[in-house]
Amino acid sequence: MEFVVLVKQVPDTTEVKIDPKTGTLIRDGVPSILNPFDQFALEEALRLREKIKDKIETNVTVISMGPPQAKSAIMKCLALGADKGILLSDRAFAGADTWATSYTLAEAVKKLGKYDIVFCGQQAIDGDTAQVGPEVAQLLGIPQITYVDSILDFQNGKLTARSLTDDGYRIIEAKLPVLLTCSTPSSFEPSNPSMASILKANKKPFLTWTADDLGGDKSRFGLSGSPTQVSRVYSPPVRGKGVVYKENIEEAVKKVVEGIMEKKVI
Amino acid sequence: MDYSFTEEQEMIRQSVREFAEKKIAPIAMEMEKTKEIPLEIVKGLAELGVIACTAAPEYGGVGFDAVTAGIVAEELARADPTGSIPVFFLIQASWGHVLNKYGTEECKKEVFPRVTKGEWFLGIATTESDAGSDLGSTRTRITPTQNGYVVNGEKMYISGVREAYTRGGGHVTIAKQTPEAGTRGMSLFYLPLHGQNGPTPGITPTYLDDLGREGISTGGFTIDNVEIPKHYLIGEENKGFYIVHEGYEFARGLISIICASAGLKSLENGMNYIKQRKCFGIPIGKFEWIQFKLAEHYTKLTMLKDLAFKAMYIYDQEQKGKAKRFEVSKAIAMAKMFAQEWACAAVDDVMQWQGAFGYTRECSDQCIWRALRSFGWAEGSKEIMRVIVGRELLGKEFISYR
Repeated sequence: MEFVVLVKQVPDTTEVKIDPKTGTLIRDGVPSILNPFDQFALEEALRLREKIKDKIETNVTVISMGPPQAKSAIMKCLALGADKGILLSDRAFAGADTWATSYTLAEAVKKLGKYDIVFCGQQAIDGDTAQVGPEVAQLLGIPQITYVDSILDFQNGKLTARSLTDDGYRIIEAKLPVLLTCSTPSSFEPSNPSMASILKANKKPFLTWTADDLGGDKSRFGLSGSPTQVSRVYSPPVRGKGVVYKENIEEAVKKVVEGIMEKKVI
Repeated sequence: MDYSFTEEQEMIRQSVREFAEKKIAPIAMEMEKTKEIPLEIVKGLAELGVIACTAAPEYGGVGFDAVTAGIVAEELARADPTGSIPVFFLIQASWGHVLNKYGTEECKKEVFPRVTKGEWFLGIATTESDAGSDLGSTRTRITPTQNGYVVNGEKMYISGVREAYTRGGGHVTIAKQTPEAGTRGMSLFYLPLHGQNGPTPGITPTYLDDLGREGISTGGFTIDNVEIPKHYLIGEENKGFYIVHEGYEFARGLISIICASAGLKSLENGMNYIKQRKCFGIPIGKFEWIQFKLAEHYTKLTMLKDLAFKAMYIYDQEQKGKAKRFEVSKAIAMAKMFAQEWACAAVDDVMQWQGAFGYTRECSDQCIWRALRSFGWAEGSKEIMRVIVGRELLGKEFISYR
């Protein structure tokens, strides 16, 4: 069995500030981390591998597109238990929007040859688009289950997962190969790689693939393959302060309703 | 010249930092009241693989060198500048290194798997009521018997006595085997306070109420006709005095890094405060007498950290046969010489900036200060550090006490 996990190195947004003048992220001195949704996706892959290990041998390959320093995100995945890491790094990939990124990642997954489950985080915490996973599934021509917070069953070439929706969840079954975008449940506590596993990670295979290695249509990589462009990034103006009613619940509800009526919200 | 850590070391730092920020920092201030490191933290440190990280992988360790152990110490001190967890770490890393290098196969197989899992504590017991810096005046005796050795005496001002006596483990201990030979007649050995079958008969612990780092116990124990097997000897008979300095120096380097890291953490607390607190209508961070102090302390503590890592690098070079013994002693002594003074001075000013609040038990910096003050003595007093550097500069014939 071959599992592929697509990950991204992102700035730690808990430490990012917005420049009030330009509206852009101030990234200077901000540490880079493995996208938290991707870590959950990886740990789901590793959990499933562990669960089925007596019956099926599974390899977990991690792929990321990014500059050379994105290697550290992949190394963390290797330390957490992945078997092999591939970094897609080439100036030709620079400036990619989600579509060009998805194309590049899909080409890399195809180049691997065999793949059974592709795991992605639901979104990256820097762009928050949640587009790459579904786009990769489309480009690979395989089914997808989005917003998966748990894998419920896996047997006979079928996978059953719980997919979150706005008002609850649905249980979805899919044939392999399948792509999952994973939603981190609130109970998830990311693992820390142990010292021994970090030392082992350095002995695992790590490859860097360039545009030439991938092949495919080079006009679809990077900026030239990106149909969207960012014209402006800005923070919406603050709308004014909220009001907290501290009376007993009946009084408070009454005031909230009055407030809504007064402001003609409904 | 390359000042950077390896990619692997950076990953180690990141993983320890994430664990320490998540699990240790929130409970750091509680340990002065609970008087113990929570067992789930000990378990977490064991799972992370940092307890006695200098032990070789075949015994359950990860074989870290001095620099890498220093990185772990720096991160633990950043999360727990109140000292208990850094001390718990540094002792086992330093004396784990000594046991790993000089201990017998049998002893290592018995002790390390339990220590690295956090079940046992591995300490150091050299100090006595009347013998600290002057190790030659040690009164504890070790005598060979037909099956091993018998030990008699008393050790005092020892860390981790309660941990080892109640939960399991023991201390790397020094005693005189050939008293007439002075320091050339001392042997080093593993003394179990609590072995596989419970507390060691003949060991009676006593406990002291320390000023700081209360999460790890301090005390002593009497040793009354305690028999130990031959394989507990560490290194050769009568060579303990020389071996023990390798452990001290490892620990001194880690202490210097811990002082720098805890001091810098306190400065971070101070910076947050002086940016917010206003006096005469402006944040007190705008006053130059505060800014200048901040700049000086930050620079000194950064110098201290750099010097300590350089010393640990030289330590590692010696292990590879690329540096001489006394070169290491001097480098480590230079790093530790000002460690406690500079760190305490920085924390003292952070307390001062916070006004009367700085003197309350609510203020974490007073707790940091109390912990750091212990390092003026621990593993070699600051006076002895000056003796070592003076000796190395002028030669042994200038040692004042000879």
